[in-house]
Amino acid sequence: MSYLEYTVKSTPTGLRKVFYMNWALTVLLMSVAGVGFLMLYSVAGGSFTPWAEPQMKRFALGLAVMMFVAMVPIWFWRNMAVVAYLISIILLISVEFFGTVGMGAQRWIDIGFMRLQPSELMKITLVMLLAAYYDWLPGNKTSRPFWVLIPVIMILFPTFLVLRQPDLGTSILLMAAGGGLMFLAGVHWAYFAAVIAAGVGLVTAVFQSRGTEWQLLKNYQYRRIDTFLDPSSDPLGAGYHITQSKIALGSGGWTGRGFMQGTQSRLNFLPEKHTDFIFTTLAEEFGFVGGFSLLGLYSLIILFCITTALATKDRFSSLVTLGISINFFLFFAVNMSMVMGLAPVVGVPLPMVSYGGSAMLVLMVAFGLVQSAHIHRPRLGS
Amino acid sequence: MSRIPLRPLARILEARSKGENPDVIERENIRQRHEEMQDRARARAEGRLLVLGVFFFCAFSVVGARMGLLATSEAQEPLASAQGANIATQRADIVDREGRILATNFETHSLYAQPPLMVDPVAAAAGLAQVFPDLDKERLIKDFTGKRKFIWIKKRISPEQKQAVHDIGDPGLLFGPREMRLYPNGMLAAHVLGGAGFGKEGVNAAEVIGVAGVEKQFDGYLRDPANGAKPLKLSLDLTVQAAAERVLLGGMKIMNAKGASSVLMNVHTGEVISVASLPAFDPNDRPRPPTSGFDPSDSPLFNRAVQGVYELGSVYKIFTAAQAVDLGLVNSETVIDTSGPMRIGGFPIGEFRNKNYGKLSVADIIVKSSNRGTGRLAMQIGSKRQQDFLNSLGMFDPTPFEIVEAQGGQPLFPKQWGELSTVTISYGHGLSTSPMHLAAGYAAIANGGHYVSPTILRQKGPQYGPRVMSPTAARQARKMLRKVVTSGTASFGEVPGYAVGGKTGTADKPKPRGGYYEDKVIATFATLFPAHDPKYVLVVTLDEPSILAYGKKRRTAGWTAVPVAAEMIGRIAPLLGLRPEVEPGETAGITLTSN
Repeated sequence: MSYLEYTVKSTPTGLRKVFYMNWALTVLLMSVAGVGFLMLYSVAGGSFTPWAEPQMKRFALGLAVMMFVAMVPIWFWRNMAVVAYLISIILLISVEFFGTVGMGAQRWIDIGFMRLQPSELMKITLVMLLAAYYDWLPGNKTSRPFWVLIPVIMILFPTFLVLRQPDLGTSILLMAAGGGLMFLAGVHWAYFAAVIAAGVGLVTAVFQSRGTEWQLLKNYQYRRIDTFLDPSSDPLGAGYHITQSKIALGSGGWTGRGFMQGTQSRLNFLPEKHTDFIFTTLAEEFGFVGGFSLLGLYSLIILFCITTALATKDRFSSLVTLGISINFFLFFAVNMSMVMGLAPVVGVPLPMVSYGGSAMLVLMVAFGLVQSAHIHRPRLGS
Repeated sequence: MSRIPLRPLARILEARSKGENPDVIERENIRQRHEEMQDRARARAEGRLLVLGVFFFCAFSVVGARMGLLATSEAQEPLASAQGANIATQRADIVDREGRILATNFETHSLYAQPPLMVDPVAAAAGLAQVFPDLDKERLIKDFTGKRKFIWIKKRISPEQKQAVHDIGDPGLLFGPREMRLYPNGMLAAHVLGGAGFGKEGVNAAEVIGVAGVEKQFDGYLRDPANGAKPLKLSLDLTVQAAAERVLLGGMKIMNAKGASSVLMNVHTGEVISVASLPAFDPNDRPRPPTSGFDPSDSPLFNRAVQGVYELGSVYKIFTAAQAVDLGLVNSETVIDTSGPMRIGGFPIGEFRNKNYGKLSVADIIVKSSNRGTGRLAMQIGSKRQQDFLNSLGMFDPTPFEIVEAQGGQPLFPKQWGELSTVTISYGHGLSTSPMHLAAGYAAIANGGHYVSPTILRQKGPQYGPRVMSPTAARQARKMLRKVVTSGTASFGEVPGYAVGGKTGTADKPKPRGGYYEDKVIATFATLFPAHDPKYVLVVTLDEPSILAYGKKRRTAGWTAVPVAAEMIGRIAPLLGLRPEVEPGETAGITLTSN
């Protein structure tokens, strides 16, 4: 019995729930997705195929899924957290055996109408599980070593599975999001200090191991790091992505070259221009103004999530909403940093804009949870 | 911190006394305690959330600032990369000994199309076909309206053509800068310079690489940015080269030769001042190598002076005479019986036009070019010593001349060097070398007995190699060579004001399948001048010359190569700074004593 269930009576029921949705958030999501459609239309050279149209269909599906998730009371999702997490783990393991190898990594399971990326699903279910865990855990036990170890295992096990695919970017995001959630749940800061210190040690070890037989990362990952540290050292090789996207951003200037006028991104200078590097197209065609506006939209989405989290007194709702915000934030912050040469190229899509089914559907489910938390928040005095 | 008691005894007792259910109080207190706990957790969580919020804000600021920074930055293509290996760096110039430009770089543009950007592909195609008549309009239309996103149109275009294409005004027609190698003197010294082509090509740059000549030989140096574009200084003299090529071309035409070559070399430093091979080509527009079925040695690309190995004939006699003197077997006045018949291994050794010179001094053997006399000298020298001597003159290996083609000039000589070979090689048959080899050999005679290796690079001071003959032998050989011009086969070689010494050679050309042609010769004149203290060696070779003179077809070097060489010396000696040794005729009526 959590606090939430004391005040169930005041929450709306039936179709009335639709009116209690966070519509501002929904509109924001739609506008970001709209930006995505525009960009996909543009990179295809002014055509709805092959990217814009399927993306629209997926978004429509995603909206429906979001509505559905939103209608279901948040405590149901809390109770489902363990199940969802276990399903994700099973999927991640099965990727090992049945996955499709794409671009050097085993990441997808083909389930007929779409290719599912269990690592994407994991991002949400991990947040759900951790939120449920801290909802269940009495507050005074939060910082006790045993009770800290349990969520750490919950985070590290899927991280390890994702790293095996290998997908360095997603595994880092999983760890960051899980850690962020533990931080928000109130785990003592000393743990984080210890982890950060250990992390620094690990990075040192990774670099020390380079070239030896116990090398910890693949050569391409080392090269990416090198390129990140000094992209100008290899502008036509491994640093090509970053160099070209920087050129695109530079050529966009303040106001951009205009819709469908980008040359860098449309002339195949950039591979992955419809997925991970779609931001360059936006920045080139709409310039700083366009890029910054998208950043603003993302910030507003985060802001609305945080207000939802603050408005609810329920721990699970609050933590799940914040966890989703962290995930969302990491998504676009890492992608933008990567495109602008602030972070290594790790293969993280721009949320809601990049072409891709799994990521978008999973995000819509996540925002469904946020909406559900918003609808079913306990209300005083009604 | 005071916790709310779940069952405060006072209130419960009070409630009980009033008959109320005390559980209500307990439940209410549970709720309050829960709420309190929740509030504390929330306070803590909000603190944490604030930290997160600050972090988010910082991240937003960094990303936003970076975006602004990039937006204001100038879009710039990468100039160099580790993998692309300095695609756009400047290639160093090549200059002659006085620093005059032989090869330099020139900014041109390449032209390419990006059909997705085109406004009107058909009009663009029509416009292009007009600017470049060699382009097919229909084909261009097909390309521009097809699926291709990138099409090369021209790798190099002139500024005029660029403007014309620019005026078509289609945004899908784009230009890329392209550095190109320019040889401002056209065909001059073409074989030395060789030429350059494009290596790796990109839209914005292309790598210039040497494909022949010094461009290829020194490709690494010329491309190395570490040299700071310091030019490569050659030993060539542009004016001398121009004069020599001009005379050689005129001579080749007058003598109806199909090819010609000349080598002018400083006998002390080994510097090649001028080297020419005709027919030549324009390195700015290097022709393709000949296809099969065509003799590659007749191609303009073929460097006759360096690559071509020929039996050069009687010009070799002087080496035999010089060696015989050097060994002390004879001196220039020693009389040798040159009368025939002479048979070596059953093979008759005859003279030119079956003459019989009788008894001749060694000097006269050279002057009259007696095969039998030279052969008898060679038999005295012996096969082993002859080979050692020729080897010391570098006659058995490709010359160390620094152009890539020099490696192709591997001399041909018999594996079994018997008595017959000894005799025939003594007068220049059976040993094929390039004119460059011959020039190096004559340089040893001219400079007093040191081998010098021919070089295309500017040298500082003499570069004597090992001594190959005594100064006395060299001096006596020079006297013989001078006599050849004053009273021998090279009487057309006299140049007013300059004492020239030299030796002619007329060698029948070998047939591809053995034997010799009756009517095809290689005529050579190897000279040194000024004869009393030679500074330069000049070797002129004509391939299949023939001239009608005094009612007869003449092919011998005395009639063909010698006048050409004489004309050349007359033209280049003043350019080389040699003062004429006789008073020129009075040019005007004014003398010092006229007043």
